[in-house]
Amino acid sequence: MAIAAGLCGLGQGRAVASAVDAMARQPGAAARIQTAMIIGLALIESLAIYTLVIALILLFVKGIQFS
Amino acid sequence: MEALEHPPIFRLPGIPDHVTYTWLVMVILAAITFAASRNLQLVPRGLQNFLEVILEQFMQMIDDVMGHEGRRYLPLLATLGLFILTGNLMSLVPGLAGPTGNLNTTAACAIVVFVAYHWIGVRKQGALTYLKHFAGPVPLALKPLMFVIEIISHLARPLSLTLRLFGNMVGGHILLAVIFLLMGLDGLIGWALSGSAVGAVVGGIGGAITIVFTVGFLYPLKILVAFLQAFIFVMLTMLYISGAIEEAEHHSEHH
Repeated sequence: MAIAAGLCGLGQGRAVASAVDAMARQPGAAARIQTAMIIGLALIESLAIYTLVIALILLFVKGIQFS
Repeated sequence: MEALEHPPIFRLPGIPDHVTYTWLVMVILAAITFAASRNLQLVPRGLQNFLEVILEQFMQMIDDVMGHEGRRYLPLLATLGLFILTGNLMSLVPGLAGPTGNLNTTAACAIVVFVAYHWIGVRKQGALTYLKHFAGPVPLALKPLMFVIEIISHLARPLSLTLRLFGNMVGGHILLAVIFLLMGLDGLIGWALSGSAVGAVVGGIGGAITIVFTVGFLYPLKILVAFLQAFIFVMLTMLYISGAIEEAEHHSEHH
């Protein structure tokens, strides 16, 4: 989970950096860039969320037996 | 999770909590819309004005993403968005449970989206043409490969919608539960009240810091996440629907 969170942070940081860069170059298109950025961030974030869900399943779901 | 989180104050026996609170969300939304639409006026005031502002935001989003013909799908999108937003916000009220914090609710929403956008695509361009687009604009030898990959990616969409909403909500709830556990009578505040001198200093300062941190930072963050997740769910639904429609236009341009 920690590794996933860290790498997810790196990826999101790159995405936000280039989005802010683009917004600074073209303030007129800021709204559209922001929408695209949020969608991209959601998609990146969901990868970390998968790890969280797997961690939660391992913690809380009793029915699965790992032999 | 039952050990960490306090159960909600109102429970119906024999019915899971998320179902009870799904009904509560439905009742809230239905009551608000019913009250707002009883006495429609040309110049809206009060509740009607509020709802019109919300729906105009949805319409503007639809116009931006899907263009004008996307307005046909406003009922689906706005219902999903308002339901998820209300559910997310309700899970932040102490003593209530959130319907979106359960995998079944989010999976139901995602499956509705999955069926809806395929249905819209098939209705718009016919089953065969719609299926052909899964193969994509590649040479004939590569088409079976593309077809399989596209099917897998389409099947991954409801999965990712489900897990994204569920994971964000439950992650936030567990974070809040752990912080409250650290802060509460079993934790720092309890230590501060236990009578020992060290406890009074360390527990008091730590408790104050956690309270300020929770109220000033975590709760606004959770409210932001609640809005953001509802927004993202609706936005991705729009993208899927417009993807299912737009392929038709590309296709007809080609031939």
